[in-house]
Amino acid sequence: MGNLISEALSMGWVAIAILAGLLVYFQVSIADPAAKKRAVFKTFIGIVATFLLFMAIANYKNNFYGENRMLPASLALITVTSFVMAMYFTNLGALLKIGGFMFFVAAFLSGYGNWLPQVEGGFPPKEEKITWDSMTPQQLADKGEEIIFGGIGKSSVQGEIGKGQCPLCHGFQKGFLSERAPNLYGLPERAEKERLADPRYSMNAPAKRDTVEKEACPGCGTGTTAQEYIAESHACPNCYVVAGFGLKGSNDRESQMPKIHKPPISLSLPELAAVDTWMYLREGKEPPSYEDMIKSYEKFIPESDRPKQQEDKPAGAASSLLADGSEPVDQIFAKGQCVSCHVIPGIPGAVGTIGPKLEEGTNAPLRLKDPGYKGTAKSTTEYIMESIVEPSAYVVKPFPDNTMPKVFGQKLSAGALKKIVDYLSQVKVGAPPPKIS
Amino acid sequence: MGLVTRKNLFAIMGLCAMVGLLLLPIVMALPSPAIGEEAPAADAEKKEGDKVEKGRDVYYKTEGIVMGAPAPKTVDGPRDYPRYNFESRVLLWFANQQHLYYGSFVLAVPIFCMIIEFMGVVTKDKALAKRYDQLAYDFIKISLTAYSLTAVLGGILIFTFLTLYPAFFGYLSGIFRPVMHIYALMFVAESGTLYIYYYGWDKMKEGFLKWIHLSMSVVLNIIGTLLMFLANSWIGFMMSPAGVDEQGRFLGNIWHVIHTALWNPLNLHRILGNMAFGGGVVAAYAAYKFLASKTDEDRAHYDWMGYIAMALGVAFLIPLPFAGYWLMREVYAYRQQMGITLMGGLLAWLFIIQATMIGILFLSTNYYLWQAMGRMRGAEKYQRYIKYLVFLLACGYMVFITPHTMVMTPAELKAMGGQQHPVLGNYGVMSAKNGGINVIITTTVLSFVWYMRGNKVSTVSWAKFGNIFMGVFFACAYINIIGLAVYGYYIPANVRVGLSVPQVATTLSCLFFMFALNGVMMKGAKQMGPIEWGKISARSQYALIMLATAFTWMMGLMGYIRSSVRLFWHVNEIMRDNSPWAYTHTVGFAANMISFNVLFFWVSILFVFWLGSLAAKKAPVEAKAGVPGAVPQPAASH
Repeated sequence: MGNLISEALSMGWVAIAILAGLLVYFQVSIADPAAKKRAVFKTFIGIVATFLLFMAIANYKNNFYGENRMLPASLALITVTSFVMAMYFTNLGALLKIGGFMFFVAAFLSGYGNWLPQVEGGFPPKEEKITWDSMTPQQLADKGEEIIFGGIGKSSVQGEIGKGQCPLCHGFQKGFLSERAPNLYGLPERAEKERLADPRYSMNAPAKRDTVEKEACPGCGTGTTAQEYIAESHACPNCYVVAGFGLKGSNDRESQMPKIHKPPISLSLPELAAVDTWMYLREGKEPPSYEDMIKSYEKFIPESDRPKQQEDKPAGAASSLLADGSEPVDQIFAKGQCVSCHVIPGIPGAVGTIGPKLEEGTNAPLRLKDPGYKGTAKSTTEYIMESIVEPSAYVVKPFPDNTMPKVFGQKLSAGALKKIVDYLSQVKVGAPPPKIS
Repeated sequence: MGLVTRKNLFAIMGLCAMVGLLLLPIVMALPSPAIGEEAPAADAEKKEGDKVEKGRDVYYKTEGIVMGAPAPKTVDGPRDYPRYNFESRVLLWFANQQHLYYGSFVLAVPIFCMIIEFMGVVTKDKALAKRYDQLAYDFIKISLTAYSLTAVLGGILIFTFLTLYPAFFGYLSGIFRPVMHIYALMFVAESGTLYIYYYGWDKMKEGFLKWIHLSMSVVLNIIGTLLMFLANSWIGFMMSPAGVDEQGRFLGNIWHVIHTALWNPLNLHRILGNMAFGGGVVAAYAAYKFLASKTDEDRAHYDWMGYIAMALGVAFLIPLPFAGYWLMREVYAYRQQMGITLMGGLLAWLFIIQATMIGILFLSTNYYLWQAMGRMRGAEKYQRYIKYLVFLLACGYMVFITPHTMVMTPAELKAMGGQQHPVLGNYGVMSAKNGGINVIITTTVLSFVWYMRGNKVSTVSWAKFGNIFMGVFFACAYINIIGLAVYGYYIPANVRVGLSVPQVATTLSCLFFMFALNGVMMKGAKQMGPIEWGKISARSQYALIMLATAFTWMMGLMGYIRSSVRLFWHVNEIMRDNSPWAYTHTVGFAANMISFNVLFFWVSILFVFWLGSLAAKKAPVEAKAGVPGAVPQPAASH
C-alpha cells in the first residue's frame, strides 16, 4: 500500500501540485465567502480524485503482468473516483456516474475472471526438423529413450511412458518383474544366442511356424541377425511369441503386442531405429549402423505399410499424454493399451486376459458392497475412476496386485478418463454393449 | 409538379448511383473467378507438356494448380516479428478490438435505421410515423460520428499489423490479393452510400421520395453486410483454412479461401451479435441523454429511444445463443480438438464467464422491463407477480452457471476423486443447464408479453379464452422444460444431449406463438391510460447501461476465445506462430485486457456523445423550425 501511494505520488505529483496551486489561488483570489468555499471544496475533491486515479494507474502498471490478480482494484478505484467527482461536478454528473458504473461492471467481471482458477496454455514445443541419418548413435539413442520413456534420462524413473508406450507391458531394468511381456534387458545378446536358435522361431523356414501369422509380409522370410529378429518382432509380433507370453488360451500362437508401426502408436522406421539403438547402447553394446537398422525394418515392413515420417510437422502435436480425449472411446482404449489386458465388450481387439473383463455397470456396484473394498468411491463412476488412477485401491480376485500401471491418471487427459468412465459404466453383463462415442 | 419530378429524378439518380457503387466491386470481382477457377484449367491444358505443380486443398480436398508461395516459416527476430518494448500481441489485440467495436456499431445502426424508418413509413399514425422517422435520423447521426473513428481505427489496425507482424500480414494479403481491392472499394461504396443517405434525409422525407430513401438504406445495408462478410473471411481462413495446400500455397480458387468451414456460421453470429451490440450502444446513449436531460420533454424522448433500442437489441440477443450453437457444432465438425479446447479444455473457464454474462444480460433486460411497467397505468396488476419471475430467473440462473465437469490437471482430478465435484457434480448436466437458460428466456418472453399488455385490456370476444390459453401454454412450457431437465439425470449422457431440441423448441414456441397471439389480442385494445414516457426510475437507465457494458464485455470475451482457440497457429495448421507470445494467457489476464478494451471503447464513445451534445445545444432554435432534431411529442403507444 505504501509503495502504491509513493508510486502514485511520483507519477501524479505535477497534476496534484497544479490542483493544490489552484486551491491556494481560489483561497486568495475569491472574495465571496460562499463562492470561495465552493471552489476550494471542489478543488479539494479534485485533488482526492486525482490521487485515487493515479493510484489506480500505478496499480494497473504494477499488476499488468502480475500474478497477484489485484489489477481489478484499479477499476474499483476509478469507480469510486467517478462517483465522488459526480457528486461535486454536477454539470458532468450523468457522464461521470455512467462512466463510474461502467467501471464498476468491468471491475466485477475482471475480478470474476481473476478469481477463477488460472489456466495458462504453455509455450508450444519447439519446431525442429530431425535429420535422423546424420545423428550420432548417442543422439539416436537419446531419441529412442524419449520415444520409450517420454524423455532423456527417464528410463531410470519408474512409471514413465513415452509415445511408444513400451513400458506399459515390458520391463527394461535387469531383474525387473515383467509379467505381461518379456523384460527387454539383455535383448541384443539374447536375440542372437537364444531366439534365433529356438526351433519354434524356425529361422529361414517360416512355413514351419505354429503361429497365427507366419511371416510379416508374403515373402519377407525370417530374421537372420539379432537386429533382424528385433525388427521382425516389432513388425510382426505374432510371427514368434516368446514362450509364456502369448495371448491367454492361444498356446503362445498369438501375441498380445500391437504392431507399433501402425495406428494408434505409428512409430516411423527412423523412430524404430532410434528405439533399437537405445537398447544396444544402454548395455554398452555397439549398435548396427542407422542404415542397417532401416534396412532390417524395410525387410519386414512393406512401403505401403510404413507410417509417414512427420519431419515437417511441428512437434506441437506431440504430447506426453497417451490420449487427449478428442478421440472416440475405442481409440482411447487402444492408445492406453487397455485392450492388451482386458476384455471390453463392444471394443474391437479388446481381448486381453491379464486383467478382469470390464463390465463395470454390473460389477462396480457389487465391488463397492464387497467387505474387502477399502477404497473411497461411493458410486459406479467413482469406482471406475479410482480403479484407473489408483489400481491398487481394490484388486479383483484372482488377479495379482501391481500388474496394472499406475500412470493413467497422468497419461490420460481428464476428457479421455471421462470417456472411459462413461463407457465402462454403461457396460452390463448380458446387455448389448453401449454405443461408441 | 416540375419541381417534384426533378426531385424524383435526382432521387432515382441517387439510388442508381448507390446501386452502381454496390455493383462496382462485384464487377471488379468478376476477373477473380477467372483467375481463380477457369484460368488454371485453361493454363493446365496449354502447359500440359510443362511441369505444372499441383496441390491438394486442405479442406475441400480438390486439386488445384499452385499459384502462391507457401506460408512463411517465421523465426523469432526483427525480420518476422519486429516489436516495441511491449507485447505485440496485446497491441494488436487492442487495435483489432477497438476497430471491431466501432465497425460493429456502424454496421448495426443502419440496419436499425432501416427497420425504424420502415416502421415510420408503414404506420398510419402520423405523429408516431414522425417519431419513428426522427428516431431513425437520431440513430444514423450517432453512427455517422462513429464512422470516421471506425475508418481511423481500421488504418491503425493495418499499420499495427504491418509494423508488428509483417510476415503474417504479408502472407494473408497474398492469399486474399484477388479481393483486397474489392474490400477497399466496398468501403468507398459504404461511405458514399451512407453520406447520400444521411444528407438526403430532409430532401426525401415524403411520398415516393421517402420510398427511394428507404431503398437507399437497403442498398447501404447490403454493402455493409458484404463488407462484413469479406472481413469475416479473413478470420474464417485463419481458423479453418481452405483453398490452400498443406504448405499454405494458394491453389487459385479464391471462393474456396473465402468460403471456409466456419465462414457461414461466423457471418450469422456476427450479424446477430452486431445488432444486439448496436442496440446496447444506442440504449446506453439514450440512457446517458435521459440522465443528463433537464426537461420532461427530453426525458420522454430519450426514455422512448432507450426502450426501442433495448427491444431491438434483445430481439437479436434471443436468437444469438442458437447461432452460437450452430457455430460450435461446425467447429466440432471441422476439428473436434478445437471444440474440446473451447468447451472442455484450456478455454473452458471462459465459457463459465460467458454463461454468467448471458444470465446478467437477461436479468438486466427483465429488470428494465419491470421498471418500465412503472410508467404505465394499469400495469400494477402484473407487478405483484414479478417476485415469482425473480424466483424463476434466479433458479434458472443458478442451474445455468453450475459447472458439471471441470478443467483439471490429473493431480487435481485425483485429489477430487473424479472429474465431478462431490456435491456440484450432481448438478449442471447439459439438459439441466439447457433447462436453466430456457427458463430464463421463456421468463423474458413472459416479461415482454406483460409489458406489451401492461396498460391495455383486450377487447376481442375471446379474450378470456385467449388469456387462459396463454397461461396454460406458458405453464406447460415451464413444466416441459423443467421436466426434461430433471429427466436428463436418469438417462445416459449421449441420450441426454438430445433433450436440448425439445427444450429449445418449447422456448421458441413461446416466443413466436405467444407474441403473435398477444399481438392479435391487443389489436384495438382498450387503453387503461397513456404510457407516461420519461416517468421511469433512474435505476432502469442503469439497467440499460449494464446491458450495454455487459454486452460489450461479452463481445470482447467471445472474440478472444475465438481467436485464441488457434493456440500457436497464425493460420490453423498452416502457419505457425513463432513469436515469443505463442502461448495462451491466463483467464485473469484475458479478463483484465477485455475490461481495458471495453472501458477504452466506452470512454471514447462517451466522449463522442458528449461532443455531439455540445453541437446539439445550438439545436433548439432550429428545432422549432421543424427540421430533424426537433424533440417529438410522446405518443401513447409503443
